[in-house]
Parts: sequence; C-alpha cells; structure tokens
Amino acid sequence: MTAVTRIRIALIVVGVLVIGLGGIVLLNDVNPARYLGIALWFAGALVIHDGLIAPVVLGVHLLLRRAGRRIPVAVILIVQGALVIAALMTALVVPEILKQGIGSANPTILPLDYAGNLLRFYAGLALVTAASIAVVLLRSRSARRADAPSRSGADAA
Amino acid sequence: MTPRDAIAVAGRTMTAYRAALAAPERTARMAVVLGRLLGLAFLVCMGTGLYSHFLQDPLPWMVFPTRPVQLYQWTQGLHITAGIICFPLILGKLHVVYPQLFQTPPVRSFPHFLERASIALFVASSLVQITIGFINTVQWYQLFAFPFRQTHYALSFVVIGSLAVHIGVKLPVILRHWRKQPRKPVAATSGVTGRVHRWMDGSGTTSRRAFLATVGAGSAVVALTTAGQSFAPLQPLNLFAPRDPRVGPQGLPVNRTAEDAEVVQLARSAGWTLSVVAGARRIVLDREALRELEQRTVDLPIACVEGWSRMATWTGVRLSDLLDLVEAPADARIRAVSLETNSSYGVSEIGPEFARDELTLVALELNGDELDIDHGYPARIISPGRPGVLQTKWLSRLEVIE
Repeated sequence: MTAVTRIRIALIVVGVLVIGLGGIVLLNDVNPARYLGIALWFAGALVIHDGLIAPVVLGVHLLLRRAGRRIPVAVILIVQGALVIAALMTALVVPEILKQGIGSANPTILPLDYAGNLLRFYAGLALVTAASIAVVLLRSRSARRADAPSRSGADAA
Repeated sequence: MTPRDAIAVAGRTMTAYRAALAAPERTARMAVVLGRLLGLAFLVCMGTGLYSHFLQDPLPWMVFPTRPVQLYQWTQGLHITAGIICFPLILGKLHVVYPQLFQTPPVRSFPHFLERASIALFVASSLVQITIGFINTVQWYQLFAFPFRQTHYALSFVVIGSLAVHIGVKLPVILRHWRKQPRKPVAATSGVTGRVHRWMDGSGTTSRRAFLATVGAGSAVVALTTAGQSFAPLQPLNLFAPRDPRVGPQGLPVNRTAEDAEVVQLARSAGWTLSVVAGARRIVLDREALRELEQRTVDLPIACVEGWSRMATWTGVRLSDLLDLVEAPADARIRAVSLETNSSYGVSEIGPEFARDELTLVALELNGDELDIDHGYPARIISPGRPGVLQTKWLSRLEVIE
C-alpha cells in the first residue's frame, strides 16, 4: 500500500466518523419532528443550485457569447464578471431587504438603507465595468495602430 | 421503446449535456485552486465556530484565554466574514465541477455510488450551512423549520467530515494538479460549448483568468461591504452588513431589549438589589451600595455571536471585588442570574479565568452614562473575550456554583 493510499483511507475513515458525530449531535440536540425540515432544506439546496442557478448561468453565458460576433471577447468577459458579481450581491442583499420589510425585533437590527445601497452598488459596478471596457478597447485600438504603420508601409511599397 | 432503450437514450442525452457544459474554466486544476480556498474557509469557520460554541457550552476541563480582549471579536468576525466569502467560492467551485453531475452511467459501481452520495451530502450540507448561517445574522428565523444553533452545530461536523471524505476520494487528482502544470498548447475546447463558442464569436478563447478574477472580485466585494460590522477600520465600506455597530442606544446595537425580556418594571424598580452568594455567606447590595464600592473603568468590546462588535468604555465594580466580599474561592465558577426569566440566556456561567480577571466588571455605566435599560440597567456583566450573549444583562444574583 502506498503512502497516498494510506492517507486516502485515513481521510475517508475519519471523515465518515466525523459525519457520524454530526449525526449523533443531530439526534441528541434536535427534535426528530424537525428532521423533515432539514431534509427539505438539503433537497432544496441541490434543486435550487443544480436545477435553477447553474442552467440559468449557462443560458446567460450562451446568450452573451452569441453577442460576441459583434463584440470583442474581452468585453464580454468583463460584462459577464460584472453580471456575476451583481447577481451575487443581489442574492445576499435581497433577503435583508425582505426581512427589513417584515420588520425586526428592534431597530438596531438591519438599520441600513439596503435597497438604496444595492442601487448605489449597481451604479458603482456599472461605472467600474464601463471604465474597464474603455481601457480594454483603448488598448486594443492602440495595439492595432501600432500594427498599422508597418502595413501601410508595405502598401506604399 | 423498451426500458433498456429509454435508459440508453437518457444516457446519450446526459453525455451530450455534459459535453455541452465543457468550458475553458472547467478544469481539474481550477477545481483544485478553488477547492483549496474553500477548504481553508471551511476550516476557519469550523475552528472559530467551535471556539464560540465551547465558550458558551464548555467541557468541564476547558479554560479560555482572556487576552487579547478583542480575541472573541476577531474570531467571531472572522467566522461570519469567512462564511460570507464561502458564497462566491462555493458557487465558483460548483460551476467548475457542474458537468460531473451528468456522468454516464450515473452509477458505475457501489464505491462510485458512495462517492456520488458523499458529494451530494457535501454539497447540500455546505450550501445549507452557509445559507442558514447568513439568514441567522439577519434574524429571519421564520424561514427555519429547525432550531438554528443546534442544527448549525451538527451540520458543521457533517460538512467537515464530508470535506475529509472528499479530499480522500480526490487525493490523486488534487496531487496531480496541486502545482500549475507547464502550459500545454491548449486545444480549443471540445464539445458542443466549444463549437458553439467558435460559431458565436469565432474563438474558443480561454476565460480561465477572467473566471478566477470574477470569483476573486466577488469574494473581495462580499467581504469588504459586510466586514465593517466586525472590523472597525472597514466601517466606511459597510453597505450590506446586518448591523451598523454605531447604531443603537448609547451608540451600541442591542439583540434583546428590556421589553423583549419583560424586565422593564423590575429593572426600573427602586427596590432592585444584587445578591452575591457563596454557600451560606450572602450580601445584598442596592445601586447606592454598589456605587460606594471602588469603581473601575475598562475598555472592552461587546461582540455578538452574529458577528457585529464594538469597543466601549464600561464603569462599575470589579466582579472579583464582589466575590471577595463573600470570600468566594478563587477557583469558583460563578452563575450570573438575570431578572430575565423567559429565556435560556437569563442565566450564564462564568469560569474562574473570567470571574477573577481584573477587567471583568459588574458594569453600571456605559461610555460615561448610566447603562441604558436595553444594555442591562441597573447592572450587567462585561468581561473580556466572551460573546455578548454571556454578558448577562439586568443582573439580579451572582452565586458560587457548588
């Protein structure tokens, strides 16, 4: 048995034991009437990620790339990155906005203007994205211009 | 169509879908790069989480450090911030390995079944763990069909155990891709996506760097716009944390108000007293009597399990001085009892390392003014390096645990 195999076996055995420990804690500390709720959350997590988020990401990705016949790839990648970050922040902040609407136990919980801040964040992200795109386009233009004289020189000859 | 044909068709569909998902950033190397970061974040969360858990429910032999006084503020701030960073990291990691979901045949053998089942458990428990952790910090308890703290604690073992199993299963791949390989000429991405890319924009251009940059920027953004609740220097960037540590009575947030705790009348009563009890020895002090004892002023943070924290200045009587009045043994554990009786947090236990610490006070004042009723008027415990939930408010009794 090689060292790597021994380490693998050890990791798997320890891992299974630790998972078992989690199971014991669950059995001891959580009322069995609650297990169904936990199981639903587990199933929901898999369904929402694998069945919803991932296919939507793929769809948006394909649509963006489809636009790529007219738009430089670098620009698409920047827009894609910005959309991912916007989606990530939306997913984190929308629960805060919703909970703020429902109300909190006291006014020190969720005290910020989350909806306003999210809009300001989108605006800032759009600015940074536009600036990055401008930099990329200017660079590629100056690269093209650097190529240009040699070509026109060849034409003249 | 016979069932066998149907299975074959399903198999071909899965293979086609999986091929369609091939993309430049979906490589084993990328899975290792993100996996390392995510694994590290998980271990940080587990370590800091266990620390917080055992501070609240110590095993009998446990002794905790009381310095630096910001220790808990830092560990719990790290817990919450690392937990938030797990969102972009885990979404990136799942994006990289997503095509593996569509393996054909779905199950090759019994070990393969176990491997896939363990990954399903790992992915589900990790997603649930970070999601309920985040939702708990915004106190949206109605979404939980289970008790948060116990479930979060139990799941932490499931997540870390699954991580160990996962590393064990994938170790050969991890070792092969631990270091960057010398660049091989990159073949244009095969599969339908590669062909679609070439058709769409005339290139199969790799976007590995753009992908990593996006995950990195996402992690930085979630951390920087929320960590201000735990780390004061980042406060100006705090757009999205569930708390602003400057917002609250006397400039400090509150978790449980006097009204929630149903103690307003008792706490405001002129007849309020604090009893200090060690076996048969007992003294009873009203606010005047507490005022007449030597007053000390200390700077200690209030740091919540939910991650927010803020430094404050407290004035009151050293707990150790009160314990000396009833000749409590130096190694005694102390029970602090609140006027609050409708919650399990109405009673806390203070180990001798905290009870006898010179900075631990029965505080009467906060930032130079009498304690606000929501901060525990007439008197509360404040001690270094412990979660706010143990800094018992509306104190009515201190007793040596026999």
